[in-house]
Amino acid sequence: MTSRLAFLRELLRDEEVRSISRRYFISNGFDGTLTSIGIIVGSFLGGNQTGMEIIRVVAGGTVGLAASGVWSVWEIERAEKLAELQRVEDRLLIGLEGTELHERKSDARKVNAVMSGLGPTLGMLLPIVPYFFVGAVLSLLWATVLGVLIGVGLLFVFGAYMGNISDQNWVIAGLRTGLVGLVVGGINIVLPG
Amino acid sequence: MSALRRLVLDLLKPNEVETVQFARRLADIEGVDGANVSLLESDKDVQNLKITIEGESIDDEAVATEVEALGGTIHSVDEVVCGDRLVEESPTHQD
Repeated sequence: MTSRLAFLRELLRDEEVRSISRRYFISNGFDGTLTSIGIIVGSFLGGNQTGMEIIRVVAGGTVGLAASGVWSVWEIERAEKLAELQRVEDRLLIGLEGTELHERKSDARKVNAVMSGLGPTLGMLLPIVPYFFVGAVLSLLWATVLGVLIGVGLLFVFGAYMGNISDQNWVIAGLRTGLVGLVVGGINIVLPG
Repeated sequence: MSALRRLVLDLLKPNEVETVQFARRLADIEGVDGANVSLLESDKDVQNLKITIEGESIDDEAVATEVEALGGTIHSVDEVVCGDRLVEESPTHQD
């Protein structure tokens, strides 16, 4: 168990594993956050739905997006990593099954898949937190406004983080991504019906 | 049976396995006092290494197992030194 944890720690220090996981996390996190903003604004404007009903709709979507994130990356990385191993095997003229490199690739795939599922889970669920307080301290309108702001904040964090690791101005990078959340909310408002 | 004191190997390893890790792991094998790993050639996927291992009593099978576990493949055994002391290669006229 201890050696397994040490192996995982070493794996997480690998820049390639971190870079691929980061991309999936942020890309799918982006999808999840924007989807969540779209659902809560659309549901509020549609009327007829209570806070708990909106939570249920978003929770259902979260399951779908998280499963999609994990499953697709699991399969994509499986194919990619097997192709990489095959290329090396062809050069070495031996099979790499059972070697540490094979095990490392397999563990890297698990980390990639988990991060890919975690992104949309956070992106979908954080904006619906205010709906738990509807009726107690918040109205449906304010829960929606707060939900959109949480989503925009999350998008800002994604952008700021990417700006930070690429040595760009993190405030500008964050504002650029945060703006998309407001655009999605705005489009929902002006949509007919 | 006399002890194996030096082993020089020519091998291929995947680029993704770091050379430092390779050297450390070989040096950690029981009976090995030290390991030298030199890069001979490198391409997109694999690297050709010359490995020199010295010790009081090197277990050649343990070395081969460790190389395999790390994803390497031994091309050739280029030098073997056994006995109570390290005997260097003697120059000949052909050299």
